[in-house]
Amino acid sequence: MFSRRRLLAGATALGGAAFLPSIAHAKGSVAAAIYPGTWEEAFRAIVAPALKKKDSVDLELQPLFAVDQVAKAKAARGAPPFDAFVLDPGPRITAIQDGLFDKIDIKKISNASKLPAGLVDEWGIGVNAQVVGIAYNPKKVPAPKGWKDLFTDPWVSRLGLTGFQTTFGTVSLIEIAKVFGGSETNIEPALVELKKVLPKIAAVGQPAAMPGLFQQGQCDVIYTNTQTVATLKGRGVDIEFVKPETGAITFLTTLHIAKGATDVENAYKYLDIVAGKEVQEALTKPPYNFIPVNKDVPLPDYLPMKNLDEMSSFVRHDWAKINPLRAGWIEKFNKEMAK
Amino acid sequence: MRTMTPPSPDGATSPADGGGKRSVLAEWQLALPLALAFASIFLAPLLMLVGVSFFNDDKITQPGFGQWAKFLGDPFSYKVIADTMLLGLKTVCATIVIGYPLALIYLDASPRLQKVLIFIIVMPLLLSVVVRTFAWIVVLGREGVVNTLLMQFGIISEPLRLLQTELGLVISLTQIEMPLMLLPLISVMSRLDPNLRDASSALGASRWRTLFKVIVPLSMPGLVAGCLLVFASSTTAFISQTVIGGVRLIYLPLLIWQQSLVVFNWPFAAVVSLTLLVSVLTVVSALSYLGRRSGGYVHG
Repeated sequence: MFSRRRLLAGATALGGAAFLPSIAHAKGSVAAAIYPGTWEEAFRAIVAPALKKKDSVDLELQPLFAVDQVAKAKAARGAPPFDAFVLDPGPRITAIQDGLFDKIDIKKISNASKLPAGLVDEWGIGVNAQVVGIAYNPKKVPAPKGWKDLFTDPWVSRLGLTGFQTTFGTVSLIEIAKVFGGSETNIEPALVELKKVLPKIAAVGQPAAMPGLFQQGQCDVIYTNTQTVATLKGRGVDIEFVKPETGAITFLTTLHIAKGATDVENAYKYLDIVAGKEVQEALTKPPYNFIPVNKDVPLPDYLPMKNLDEMSSFVRHDWAKINPLRAGWIEKFNKEMAK
Repeated sequence: MRTMTPPSPDGATSPADGGGKRSVLAEWQLALPLALAFASIFLAPLLMLVGVSFFNDDKITQPGFGQWAKFLGDPFSYKVIADTMLLGLKTVCATIVIGYPLALIYLDASPRLQKVLIFIIVMPLLLSVVVRTFAWIVVLGREGVVNTLLMQFGIISEPLRLLQTELGLVISLTQIEMPLMLLPLISVMSRLDPNLRDASSALGASRWRTLFKVIVPLSMPGLVAGCLLVFASSTTAFISQTVIGGVRLIYLPLLIWQQSLVVFNWPFAAVVSLTLLVSVLTVVSALSYLGRRSGGYVHG
């Protein structure tokens, strides 16, 4: 049984603990949404200590996928649960349309001048580039040349697919549609071709499950980004990245300040430190393998480009056109792929 | 030792037990905080969900029945509902087939063995569902434990496709949901009077006859409770369904996730959520009706 004294002591401790966040807040803190997994680990290990050291600001990370961040901020209606977003192009446009961001004052981000033009706009800054292509297991299958190869043997029977739920899945399926006569807004040819080879395909899975399925040998060819390939390689998985002959795909990951954020000034400090040379350099190294966007940071040698300028030749997509069509594509993919 | 009054057959408390009307009122007042908590954290969001489902657009501005018409007018929706309910029923059947004999073994085991068994039964509950699900990828994968063993023994020459099939999903859900079947079953069965079994065999019944005429009817409340839990849990097991089943096996939770978190069409997601709720509640009500009827065996 608890004695009254112990109960009181416990209650005091609990009450005291309740004050802790406000103490931290007094020193300065910022709540930032972050992608679960590698991003969360990297930001906890590199960005949080850097922000604490430079600005004495505590970084509180909330692991959420891009779509979850937008859903939560929409549901919170003006009182977002975090001060900063990290988003891919599709959810970024949805968030802009729904008025979830504060416009940024670029003068407050000193490192913005180190970012290539096009990575900074009124809504936020680009902090990482993603390069998407084909990954394969060199011990099981030869290197495919492009998207078309994925539909022929020996690759088709070892192919792992994902749908339109993620940015990399959507853009890969668009590129597949293009080689079969489709376009950015017409993915029908990709679905027609997929349907023809569906019984042969090794796996059609959730994006988060794909690295696991690859590692377990369930599939030996997937479309994914260079970061996943580098991370799996670091764990000893036999995996190589191929830039498809029609070009690798690229898109930016951007940081934004939430409208109604409680710690706006600290959010600026957070954006600034992520764009800075030290953090970008550290994020580029294994096991995190980010693609840096700060011009002062050299690119790692495993990437399919020597410098950031080369990325201008990579395939990009217009998410303002893609977003309105995506719901229909997801529905169609469900129906066409369902067993 | 305290002496216990046997409960009346219908389970109701007689007014003489605790001071008549006043005590009933006091009990009602005691339940008020819980009732208020339920109303605010369960009923209110549920009503909001119903409200949101009656909007035609994803911005939630135009009231109407458009989303219901879209969902109910699409034959694909009925396939998904049927597949989801069938998955639940198949998992329930598999947990009964494996769980019931296990409960019988538990009943006859020594107290020490019972402790070991209960630990083994509860262990899956102590692991995160994500860990359990990914463990099944390792077991059922193309180069997983099952395929490697079968190929080493020369039973198969090509790896079997177990992952991303309904069979693989039912196998893994059976293990994942097993504690939910076994715990109520064991709790009811261990309260059975051992003399009843002895009496049955003394009267000349075989072991099978004793099982089907005495033990099974008396364990019905536990069995039904287990079925309810396994059914409700397996039909809504989003992580297992999508990770082990893949996205070619489409169940209602996947549709809800896609509509609410990828496409942001909350009214449509609300329609699918309510459909899942109603479908699961219908089957669960049918099962608990069976449970109430079988209660007659125990007390009758």
